[in-house]
Amino acid sequence: MEHPLLQPVTAAYEEYLRDESRAVGQAEAIAFPRDEAEVRAVLRAAADAHMPVTLQGARTGLAAAAVPGGGLVLNLGKLDAVKGMAQEKDGTFTLRVQPGLALSRLRKQIADRRFDTTGWDVASLAAYDAFMAAEEQFLPTDPTETSASVGGMAACNASGARSYLYGPMRRHVRGLRVLLAGGDSLTLRRGQVRAKGRHLALVTDAGRRLDVPLPTYEMPKTKNASGYYIADDMDAVDLFVGSDGTLGVITEVELALCPLPKVIWGASCFFAEEAAALDFVIGLRGQSLAQVAAMEYFDARALDILRRQKRDNPAFAALPPIAPQYSAAVYVELHCASEDEAAEALFATGTAMEAAGGRAQDSWVARTDFDKDTLIFFRHAVPESVNMMIDTRRKAHPGITKLGTDMAVPGAYLKEAMAMYHGMLAEAGLEYAIWGHIGDNHLHVNILPQSQADYEQGKALYAQWAQRVCAWGGSVSAEHGVGKLKADTLRVMVGDAGVRQMAALKACFDPRGLLGVGTMFSPMGGI
Amino acid sequence: MRIVVCIKQVPGGSQVRMDPVTNTLVREGAKAVTNPFDAYAIELAVRLKAELGAEVVALSMGIPATGALLLDAAARGADRCVLLTDRAFAGADTLATSYTLALGIRRLGGADLVLCGRMAVDGDTAQIGPELAEALGLPHLTEVDAVLEADASGLTVQRSIEGGAKQTVRLGLPALLCVTKEIGFPTMPSIAGVRASRSVAVETFDAEALGADPARIGLNGSPTQVVRTFVPQRGAEALPVEGTAGQQAARLWEIFREVGS
Amino acid sequence: MAGLRISKAACTSCGLCQSACPAGALYIKRKAEVDRDACVLCGLCIEACPMGAITLEKEADAPTVAETTRDVWVFAEGLDGRPHPVAFELLGQARALAAARGGVVAALAMGTGAESWAPPLIEAGADRVYACEGDIFDSGMTEPFAAVLANLIETERPETLLFGATVFGRSLAPRVAARVGTGLTADCTGLDIGADGLLQQTRPAFGGNLMATIITAARRPQMATVRPGVFSAAPRAAGRQGEVVRVQQPTGLVLPQVLKTAPGAPGESIAAARVIVSAGRGIGNQKNLELVRRLAERLGGSMGVTRPLVDMGWAPYPCQIGQTGLAVAPDLLVCCGVSGAIQHLAGMGGAKVVVAINSDPQAPIFGAAHYKVVGDAVEILKQLLAQNKS
Repeated sequence: MEHPLLQPVTAAYEEYLRDESRAVGQAEAIAFPRDEAEVRAVLRAAADAHMPVTLQGARTGLAAAAVPGGGLVLNLGKLDAVKGMAQEKDGTFTLRVQPGLALSRLRKQIADRRFDTTGWDVASLAAYDAFMAAEEQFLPTDPTETSASVGGMAACNASGARSYLYGPMRRHVRGLRVLLAGGDSLTLRRGQVRAKGRHLALVTDAGRRLDVPLPTYEMPKTKNASGYYIADDMDAVDLFVGSDGTLGVITEVELALCPLPKVIWGASCFFAEEAAALDFVIGLRGQSLAQVAAMEYFDARALDILRRQKRDNPAFAALPPIAPQYSAAVYVELHCASEDEAAEALFATGTAMEAAGGRAQDSWVARTDFDKDTLIFFRHAVPESVNMMIDTRRKAHPGITKLGTDMAVPGAYLKEAMAMYHGMLAEAGLEYAIWGHIGDNHLHVNILPQSQADYEQGKALYAQWAQRVCAWGGSVSAEHGVGKLKADTLRVMVGDAGVRQMAALKACFDPRGLLGVGTMFSPMGGI
Repeated sequence: MRIVVCIKQVPGGSQVRMDPVTNTLVREGAKAVTNPFDAYAIELAVRLKAELGAEVVALSMGIPATGALLLDAAARGADRCVLLTDRAFAGADTLATSYTLALGIRRLGGADLVLCGRMAVDGDTAQIGPELAEALGLPHLTEVDAVLEADASGLTVQRSIEGGAKQTVRLGLPALLCVTKEIGFPTMPSIAGVRASRSVAVETFDAEALGADPARIGLNGSPTQVVRTFVPQRGAEALPVEGTAGQQAARLWEIFREVGS
Repeated sequence: MAGLRISKAACTSCGLCQSACPAGALYIKRKAEVDRDACVLCGLCIEACPMGAITLEKEADAPTVAETTRDVWVFAEGLDGRPHPVAFELLGQARALAAARGGVVAALAMGTGAESWAPPLIEAGADRVYACEGDIFDSGMTEPFAAVLANLIETERPETLLFGATVFGRSLAPRVAARVGTGLTADCTGLDIGADGLLQQTRPAFGGNLMATIITAARRPQMATVRPGVFSAAPRAAGRQGEVVRVQQPTGLVLPQVLKTAPGAPGESIAAARVIVSAGRGIGNQKNLELVRRLAERLGGSMGVTRPLVDMGWAPYPCQIGQTGLAVAPDLLVCCGVSGAIQHLAGMGGAKVVVAINSDPQAPIFGAAHYKVVGDAVEILKQLLAQNKS
């Protein structure tokens, strides 16, 4: 089809057919709109041509939500401006950000306190003055890929290690602008439109009224990013955060910032036994220290991968040596108002290690930037290494991918879940490593298939775990979202009826079913 | 046996940019940190302490706030923290600094081994080590990558010389070494180490306590002086290569071919 | 006591001194004030002040300058039984300095066969060569060199003494400076004679973000080290004549004992590469260095990096370009995610065509580039590789 904003997908656009999940899709056309009017025009053109539309931010997602299954790719990367700033009554600063802005660039602008204020209104400029005089601010959501786009982070309700203290992206989204498939738009501010029970009534900017019946399922009482966020009397903003590009195009996100803690220390605590590490986590969590911002776990196999990488791969030579007796590590991050407070929280962490049967000297404390960078490198080296291993194996077995779970369980089931993973994987004889956000009982079990048979076996285990985790009241995907790759596990969690109700909800906003085809709803056979 | 590790406080991070309007240097959040190369000297000292049972002294000349960095060295395993601080030390170049550090080491009763990082990242001179060795009358080796053997009488070390060649040298003690990153990864302090450092006090000495010659310290004792600082002239404006990443790349290949690559 | 003086009358409280201060010692309280406990007397604020309100005062008057000749000396380090190439580069510059001062140029050669170095050193610009034959120098310990140099400085009184900033030069020069009690300026990128006749020693300073010109006002000799590759060697004047002064090697020294010397791995240096693709912190992570390496390969060149990447352990030191790394002079230099700190720029001045790719349009690297590509370096590298699959 001919349209000035649409370009045919040639070899030069190959990149835009995949994301970090490494799934590859297909599309006929691609558009890079530069402003909201162009987004609207592209949506209209797609609707006229009956083309499905796949939304893209920075393509850092792990569940293929941004991978097209035909039709049109709408890439929002060129909408990358910060449009304005405000200060709320309680002093909180908020930023109005376009969806394509990369998190790394947003962070830099916030840290440098340097924004391009072209087009800012008087109120925004006044807030900027207050911002310049205020203490340092930050956006706490910290996904591993800092090239992630703000729109993508809102669309998938991103989280990261610090979500333990600060919650996921949802908590920091104060408002949204959303373009609907028909070209109409919604301007939503938190606190302004709420559902009545399970019924949501919205009025579009053009004055059209939408009556939206909300699904009746109960969400897990754990960290969760699977399916639509649904709760009694919920805020309309929350429906769109985590909707994975299936309800509308987010064209502006209003983000709340937090004051940057004065002192941030990290400590990697090592244990000779996994049981001691789990007791440490449960014990430290029991103390409810307000300073603990993150608790991240690495099991013996993850540590072994790092030891091997350090030995064999010069790229990982800068990893600190890991003593051979260590077989589990828990990274604890402390956000504090002063060094004294940090020392107190650190010593409490040491005491918790000792109470769990560990030793306070078996730890690495990062207080300087250099040491903090080392610990970040250490934490990121694990997934990085696993991805490299998988890429190597794919050369021999193109059909395999990494099988990584993203399930969270209620706290009472942490040890049981761990025993289940180890037990079933040992029985199946599969290679794997476990790491993740243990503070939220949210671990990534990563199966490293050596062959197509391993891969099939791993997928079967995955399905069994989804059943068990749901029976415990857990979530099938706590942070990555189900996207296209895990849409089938969503069915396990919310049931057929839940999926039907979600589809009915989607039809209220996207009656022709053009947006994000294959995401959340049906497993995508083609990719 | 006493090992003295020399530590310098340097501005942290690289958050330094030119203000395009005023053409001056703007430093943002430039928190003071331990010179990164000194971390390797601390690492070697702590390892030798474990092997030989030495007393490790972290030594610095600097402003009072430098004490915090010495205590960080204590958390990593240093036994004592010694800070030479006096307004009269300000403005010292490497000659005046090495004189002052030598007085500090003499005040401690000397050292069997003095360790320095290969250079400080703010000055980049790499002169303090050899100048301090000269002031103390000790032999010195620079670019030391590893200590292969150590006992109370001496060390066998490996160092880098011109062209990446490696030399193995046996030297007696006392001596001074400037160490590289090859020494090995600086171990982070443990929670237990941080706890222990809370009971270490920073010992401070001023010019008088050291018996320093006022003409040899600080600005007055520094033969070199900065007479001008400037931002280098920017050359002619660079030609912009614009468009999408794909278009930019295509234009770059044309440029590469023009250059003949 | 020496100190910073701020004229309250001249100060306009503009705050420029505050932003220039690396020690955080200056603040504005109606007028600029200095925290004397924090001030390191670096003098940056003096340059920053548009009103000339800040001065740095030394307590004592400078002692009278010692009586010297006007001669410029070059220490000629040996490499594989010949003078190191940097000696010839220094002699070229020494000629210009000596001409400005009306002195002679002398080279100092020590080691087995040192006397045989005299003809090439003279042809390269030395008027006189002090040659000290002896095997005591061959182990590469600094002490015998320092002993000879300190003696000669005392008896012959050169005005200026230059060293190559090689591993050995950087170890020896400070030892000598401390012994004779004079100043030393490391890694100069420019040496000139000022109107006052003093040696103007220019080098990147303060973390490599600006240039500083340094003088040694009262002590002699004025000493400096210069990186190999900064100056170009003067053309050899075949048959040029000069004086050779034989010097006795020192005796009675107890030196550390060299047990073994293993040659370095060959082919690691990028100093001679025709094409270099370099990476800075903007490359994001170590994985992306692979893209840089691949582009370098496609272009038939080598990979270079900035210092932070070496510091983080992403690349080995022999790849480092800059004041504390290598000075390079390729036909084509493609800088990917390099911000352009002065200390890095100091190592790439010889590049003929510079292409810079950086996402920050204000990045200083563009000031040193011929082609400016504003964009994500990783994205553009991927495109470059995708468009040339051969």
